[in-house]
Amino acid sequence: MIKQFFAAILLSLIFAIPAHSQEKSILTIYTYDSFSSEWGPGPALKTEFEKTCNCTLKWVSASSSISALRKIQLEGDKSKADILLGLDSSIISKGETTSLFANHGVDENDIMLPNDWRSDIFIPFDYGYFAFIYNSEKLKNPPSSFVELANMGDDFKILIQDPRSSTPGFGLMLWLRAAYGEKSNEMWANIAPHIITVTRSWGEAYSLFLKDEADMVLSYSTSPAYHKFAEDDERYKAANFTEGHYLQIEVAGILAKSKNKSLAKEFLEFLISKKAQEIIPTTNWMFPVVDIGLPESFDGLISPHDVLMFDGKEIEKNSQKWIDEMFKSIE
Amino acid sequence: MELNSRKITGIFISALTGILVFAIFFMLLKNSPSGAKAIRADVFSLLSKSAFQAFLSVIFSLFFGILLAWCLNRLRFKGRNILIGLFAAAIITPGLVLSVGLIEVWGRAGFVNNILGSLGLKPIGSIFGLHGIVLAHTILSGAFVATMVLTRLNAIPTKILKTGQSLGLSAWHRFLIIDWPAISGALPSLGAIIFLLSFTSFPIILLLGGGPANQTLEVAIYSAMRLDFDLNYAAQLALIQLVICFFIVLPSIFYLPQIASAGKTQKLKWFDSKPVIYLQTGILIICSLIFLSPLIAVLFDGLGKNLIIVFSKASFWKAGLTSLIIGIFSAILNLALALALCFARAEIKNKTLRAIFYVPVFAFMIVPAVVLSLGLFIGIRDLNIEPVVAAPFVLILANALLALPFSVAILSPPIEAANFRYSKLTKSLNLSGFRRFKAIEWPMLGSEIGVVLALTFCFSLGDLGIISLFGTDDFATLPWLMVRAVGAYRNNDASAIAAIMLILALVVFWLLPKIMKRFADA
Amino acid sequence: MLKIDNIEFSYPEQTSPFCFNLELKAGEIILISGISGAGKSTLLDLIAGFLDIEKGSIILDGFDISSLKPQQRPVSILLQSDNLFEHLSVRKNLALALPAKTSAILLNEKVKQSLAEVGLQDFIDKKVAFLSGGQKQRVALARTLLLNRKILLLDEPFSALDEKAANAMRELLKKLVKEYSWHTIIVSHNLTDIKNLNASHYILANNQLTKTAS
Repeated sequence: MIKQFFAAILLSLIFAIPAHSQEKSILTIYTYDSFSSEWGPGPALKTEFEKTCNCTLKWVSASSSISALRKIQLEGDKSKADILLGLDSSIISKGETTSLFANHGVDENDIMLPNDWRSDIFIPFDYGYFAFIYNSEKLKNPPSSFVELANMGDDFKILIQDPRSSTPGFGLMLWLRAAYGEKSNEMWANIAPHIITVTRSWGEAYSLFLKDEADMVLSYSTSPAYHKFAEDDERYKAANFTEGHYLQIEVAGILAKSKNKSLAKEFLEFLISKKAQEIIPTTNWMFPVVDIGLPESFDGLISPHDVLMFDGKEIEKNSQKWIDEMFKSIE
Repeated sequence: MELNSRKITGIFISALTGILVFAIFFMLLKNSPSGAKAIRADVFSLLSKSAFQAFLSVIFSLFFGILLAWCLNRLRFKGRNILIGLFAAAIITPGLVLSVGLIEVWGRAGFVNNILGSLGLKPIGSIFGLHGIVLAHTILSGAFVATMVLTRLNAIPTKILKTGQSLGLSAWHRFLIIDWPAISGALPSLGAIIFLLSFTSFPIILLLGGGPANQTLEVAIYSAMRLDFDLNYAAQLALIQLVICFFIVLPSIFYLPQIASAGKTQKLKWFDSKPVIYLQTGILIICSLIFLSPLIAVLFDGLGKNLIIVFSKASFWKAGLTSLIIGIFSAILNLALALALCFARAEIKNKTLRAIFYVPVFAFMIVPAVVLSLGLFIGIRDLNIEPVVAAPFVLILANALLALPFSVAILSPPIEAANFRYSKLTKSLNLSGFRRFKAIEWPMLGSEIGVVLALTFCFSLGDLGIISLFGTDDFATLPWLMVRAVGAYRNNDASAIAAIMLILALVVFWLLPKIMKRFADA
Repeated sequence: MLKIDNIEFSYPEQTSPFCFNLELKAGEIILISGISGAGKSTLLDLIAGFLDIEKGSIILDGFDISSLKPQQRPVSILLQSDNLFEHLSVRKNLALALPAKTSAILLNEKVKQSLAEVGLQDFIDKKVAFLSGGQKQRVALARTLLLNRKILLLDEPFSALDEKAANAMRELLKKLVKEYSWHTIIVSHNLTDIKNLNASHYILANNQLTKTAS
């Protein structure tokens, strides 16, 4: 009796997954987990898009955008993915070199980015800057540059992420490299004493920061907006660094093997429409790529002195070497 | 060799698990996009770092485990059984949960520093680094050692204790003459298990390691596989890990120690002198505080107002149900496999076959979960099955396999003993198959079966390695949900889920052995 | 004179308590029999101090010993088996009966002497694990000699031995009890021991001791 009960539950669990309506076509989008989770933009985007497309949108998520890419690569010919959403400008060349993607052919006239970044295969859908976040009640005089950070007192601690496993971690590595070039290794060595730990993911570092384990955490310049919006808490601020801030652009692309290319293109057009872009700031906590005006919680966010960014190909060529050098410098 | 159904089933399963290990490595090597690369130089530094850390963890775990068992064996007080149950449960605490708890207690803004601060004292140094890792491993494995050693101490015949007490042995002499011979036999294999657990430790090192300086091979495998997509290199590293761990562990896995559930009270009370009793009480209080405070911190942190928010979410109940179902089926599958293997080995007389019989099983203690997950993923793909459909089955299979070494370690010694004692009787009564199990093993193994089920359930409950490739929005488990919450600024929700997972694990570990024993006795 | 005076004890959930009375002179042997579970070992545990009495007193030569801890009581015990530490040599086992500060020469002397009394002087450096059951019991008796405590409690000391070894052990015991004037209480199911050891006989039943007519 008990056995049959569990078997029934298990079976219903399994068959509940592919049990979508058969008449409508299914658009499958691979993305990173926090995008499609109940707190992210995923559910709202799905509802909005399905109103008009006469289709079913299915999110398939991996722990990070790069894991989503690996999943598609592993699945090879059997992959059901139509779109990969969430690769960012730093790892884009990993996608470009795999020839997995088709040209999108979407009209990009309305897109406004802080720089002139464009790609034939990827559509940008949001962007943000990496920045160190601090609690303004506890830290009255935050550093305003990497140099000042390096010169803070001995008990001044920061949390950063591993560049091999975390997007902000990788972003910080590029940020320092873009700001200091060959001298970035020296700067890493100067900062090293302040690094309390290097976490695997952004979430781990950020939750340690909220537990007050460090004075600053590497995150996005938009993080204060979350606290203001969701918790009505205005203590958290981003430190504006004089060296400028590194730009991260998140993109989506259509897979070359997709059987729903026109539907996929329709989604990308929707993704940069006003309707979709209005959802993104307060769910994904990034800046929209079209001019829609920002929600009130985004007031008072820093605007960088300088926008830093590498070309994707240069990153692809050097990233292994840069990471190795960085680890040597902070060890 | 005389064959019977038990032997055939067991040998078949043992061979199958062996083939699976080979198949996984074959899949990785076959699918690696790049050609074979030379081993990078950092492997040797990784190895020596991992080994040093694991060595320290072994020493500290054994020392504190024995000390703790010594106190628990001698002292009698209210709540003793509950305390022993809590220590026994330490091994099933998910590493991630424990690390968070340690930070709550020992971190910069943690409990200890708050007290020191309010007393006007200087704060203690950072928890991050080698000492943090070793502390976490000592808590996990030390509590495990304590319960194992305690079982052995409790099993010392009363007659010997009477003689020793009547001779007026001092506390030190009692330990040397009576206790040490009773426990020393279990220490090599215990040490080996701790070494393996610490050598292949993953979430603890990532969170408490403090950076790349304290990496293990396991972490390097993870990054090679997930970030660089260098399957070949990952497979090479995993093979190195496999070979090294086998050299260290192989000699000692044949003396399997027994894992205890909750402790049984011994009838005879041993009289120690007053100073010794004070010492034992002091040690027990300090150790209990250090060992249990992280768990209490997790509960304290998680059971606040966010519990209601979490409970009101459909996604929580769905993930909870999924975790529960996966856990239950993993536990049942694991038990079936473990019983089949142990029954077969107990029947086998051939020394060589006995020696290699558990080797494939123990390989799963060393194969990283990410490697297993990826190998299965590729296998599923090649079989033309959709990963989404296969996910529950793969999770059940993988969790059952990863816990198999522990189950075998728990079940094998009593089954071998029962077989030795009753083999003639069963033959003469012509008992076989299920009747034999029901008549002989089941009544004897009730609580061990409970421990095995609980252990596998809890391991499966805490898994983040296998689900990483198979999880989707429709298919999530509690830890998966927890990581999601952390990734979306919802730290309070994550704390609540961590506390719920911990409570679930404790309850299951506390209840299952008792329930199973009740069934078996009926 | 050992006087066990109305001592009471009950296990948890036991309805009526054990109540024991017994008197024996130095050099006297008392044999106690009874069905299994009657409480024979409980009686010995109470005298030895492994269980705490709830009422009454245990008086040896005018002193109440019932509040002493087991290791402080003038009691030697000898069980059916497992009296010795198997992984130690005979010498080390016996040495445990002497004060820790005893000099090596004196210790050697005393150990040899006691082994000679039980006829095992050649076994001094053997590991206990290699001795036969009878030899082990005799070594345990030798240790009792070294301890030289006034009360000797024996729990089925012959039952694990073959007939020949048991008889040798009986003779030895009789001789030593006489020589050293131990107050000796022996639990045995073998009633021929009453005659063999020249003992008085008590039956333990219904939670109390009853003397039988000799």
